[in-house]
Amino acid sequence: MTSIPAGFNALLQASLPSAAQPAVIAVGAAYFAIVIGISVWAARKTRTAADFFVAGKGIGLVALTIASVSVSVSGFAFIGGPGLIYAVGLGAMFIVLPASVTNVMGAWVLAKRLRLLGEARSLMTIPDAIGVRYRSPAAQGIAAVAMLFGIVGYMATNALAMGVVINSIFDVGLGWGIWIGMGITLAYSASGGILAGIYNDVFQGTLMAVASVLVFLFVLDFGGGLSAISRSILAADPSFLGPWGKLTPLAALSFFFVFSMGSLGQPQAVHKYYMLRDPLQLKWYPLLKTLGLVLVLLLYFGVGMGVKAFVAAGRMAPLATPDQATPSLLLHVTPIVLAALVFSGVAAATMSAANSFINIGAAIVMHDLPIAFGRRLRNELAWGRVVTVLIAIAAAVTAQRSGSMVAFLGIFGWGLFASTLVPALAVGLNWQGATRAGAIASIATGLVVTLALEIAAYNKAFSFPAGVTASAVALVLSFLVFFAVSWLTRSTAAGSIDPDVRLVMEL
Amino acid sequence: MNKGLTRRLALGALIVSIIAIAVAYASAFRPSGPPIWAAWLLALGIPLSLGGIMVLGAARGGREAGVGPLKIPFAFVTVVLAAGFGGALLLPATESPNSELWLGLPARAAIVIYGVGLMPTILLPIAYALTFESQTLRAEDIEQVRAFARGGAGERKGLAGQACSERVDGADVSTATDTRT
Repeated sequence: MTSIPAGFNALLQASLPSAAQPAVIAVGAAYFAIVIGISVWAARKTRTAADFFVAGKGIGLVALTIASVSVSVSGFAFIGGPGLIYAVGLGAMFIVLPASVTNVMGAWVLAKRLRLLGEARSLMTIPDAIGVRYRSPAAQGIAAVAMLFGIVGYMATNALAMGVVINSIFDVGLGWGIWIGMGITLAYSASGGILAGIYNDVFQGTLMAVASVLVFLFVLDFGGGLSAISRSILAADPSFLGPWGKLTPLAALSFFFVFSMGSLGQPQAVHKYYMLRDPLQLKWYPLLKTLGLVLVLLLYFGVGMGVKAFVAAGRMAPLATPDQATPSLLLHVTPIVLAALVFSGVAAATMSAANSFINIGAAIVMHDLPIAFGRRLRNELAWGRVVTVLIAIAAAVTAQRSGSMVAFLGIFGWGLFASTLVPALAVGLNWQGATRAGAIASIATGLVVTLALEIAAYNKAFSFPAGVTASAVALVLSFLVFFAVSWLTRSTAAGSIDPDVRLVMEL
Repeated sequence: MNKGLTRRLALGALIVSIIAIAVAYASAFRPSGPPIWAAWLLALGIPLSLGGIMVLGAARGGREAGVGPLKIPFAFVTVVLAAGFGGALLLPATESPNSELWLGLPARAAIVIYGVGLMPTILLPIAYALTFESQTLRAEDIEQVRAFARGGAGERKGLAGQACSERVDGADVSTATDTRT
C-alpha cells in the first residue's frame, strides 16, 4: 500500500468536534490502558539493541502483518481521506488504489533481498542496507540524513493529529492532548522499543480494522446499499462519480504514481522485512497485508461516499468543511459506541505511526550517522532510549507551533522518502549495474529537489501546474539521475558490491 | 528467456516508462496546460514502470534465470492497469441519474475501482504465494546465505564466484574489490 500522506493529516485534520461523551471516554480510557499493559510486558523482554530496533528478528507472520498494516495507515484514512472524497469525489481514491499492487510489489522487489541481507549482515536499518549494497558509509550517511528530514515532518504531523484526537475524546485542550499522546507513545517506545511498538501495532491495527468494517457496514445499511448511495449522488452531482472525480486525469494518475512507486521507499513499512522470524513466512505476507489494508480502507471509501449521498438526500446537514465528514457521521448518525471505536482507532493510527518513526529516527541517529562518520557507539541500546526521548520531545514541541508550519513539515514526508530511497534501494538491490555514485547522486537529488520545491511552494514563490506535485517531480528526477550517473560510472559497478551482497542479489 | 535478457528488458521498461512520465510532467508546465497525451503517457507509463520493477525484483539468477511462470501475472497486471486507466480516459463521461450501475457504480468508476483497485489485490498475492518456492525463496537459499555469513572472507569469495560466475548487466560479478568510500 500505500501509506497515507502525513501532510494531509495536518491540512485536513486540524480540528475535530468534541466527542467527550461517557461512552467515548470509557472506550478511549480502555484503549490507553491496554496500550500501557502491552508496553509494560514488552519492556521486560527488551534486553539488547537488536531487540530494541528489530525485535531480535523474532516476530511471527500474523503479528508482523497486522503491525505493518497499522503503520501503513495514519489518521488520514479515517478523517482526512473520507473528507477528501467528499470534496473531490472518486479521484481521491487514487491515493489508496495502489494498495492493490504495492504490498506484493514490495515483497518481490525488497522483502527477500532485505531479509537475506539482514541474515547475512545483521542489518538494523534501511540506510544499513544502502551502505552494504554500495560498500559506502557515505551513501548510508546521506540516506540517513534524508530520512531524518522526512521523519521530522511525519513526527510533527502525527503529534499534532494525536493532540487533536485526544482533545476530541477527553476534552483536555490541544496542547495537553499532544503531550499526553506523545508521552504515552514515548513511554512505550523508550521502554519496549520496536517490540512494544509491534505488539501495540497489532492491537491498534485490529482495532482500526474492526472499526472500519463496522462503519462501512453501517453506511451500506443506512444508505440502502451501494447502488442506492450512488443514485443519490448521481442525482445531485454526477461528476463526483466520474473515475477522476473533480480532479484532472493527470492529477489522479499522479497520485497513483507517487503512492505506488513511492511505497517502495517508505521506511516504516520496508523496515518490517528485517523482523520476520522465519524468512519463508514471507510467502503469505503480501496476501495477508493486502487483505488487512482493504479492511482498514473500507471506511475511507464508505464514509466519503456515504456522507456525500446522505447530504445530497437531505439526511445529513451540509458539512462546514470536508474534514467533518467522519466526525459528523459518527456523532450524529451512527451509534455512539461505534463513534467511540473509531475515535480510539484514529488515536491508534497516529500513535502507531509516531512510534514507528521514533524508533526509525533513533536508529538513524545512534547507528547510521556514527557509521557514516566512522565511529560506533558502545552502548546502542542505552543511546537508543535517550535519542528516542529527545525525538519525541522535539516532535511534541514542533507540533505546538503554527498549523501551517506543521502542515508544511508533513507535506514532504512521503515524497522525500520516495524520491531519496526508491531508486537507490529498490532498483539498486536488484540491478548490479547501479553504482555508488549513482545512488549518492540520486539520494542527493531527491533531498535537494524535494526541499527546494516544497519551500518555494510554501513561500508562494512558485506554484505547480494542476496535476504536478513536488513529490512526483522529485521522484522522477531522482530516477533519471540514478540511471544517468550509474551509466556514466558503469566501470565502477562491479567494485561496489561485496560477494555476500552479490549472492543475495542473485537469489 | 535468460536471466540477463529478462533483467535488461525489465530495466529498459522501467527507464522508458520513467522518461514517459517525466515528459508528461514537463508538458504540464506549458502555458496552455498539459496536452491530452500527457494523461496517456501516465496511463501507460505507470503500469509499465510497476510491471518493470516487479519483474526486475522477481527475476532470479543462476540456472533458474528469469521469472518463469510469473510472466503471466506480471503481464496480466500491467495490462489490467493500462486497460483500466485507458478505459477511464477513452470512455465518454456519461454519468447521470439514469446511468447503468455496475456493482453499484457507474461504468467508468467501476472499471477503475474494481479493475484497478480490486483485481490485482487478489491475483498478485496468490501468484506470489503459489510460486514462492520455485521463484522467490526456498530453504536452500537461506542456508546458502547463512553459510556464507559463517564462512571466512576467502571462502565467501569462492562461493560468490560459484554462485555468480556469469556477467550480469555488463558487470563482471566475480571481480569485487575492497574500495569503500
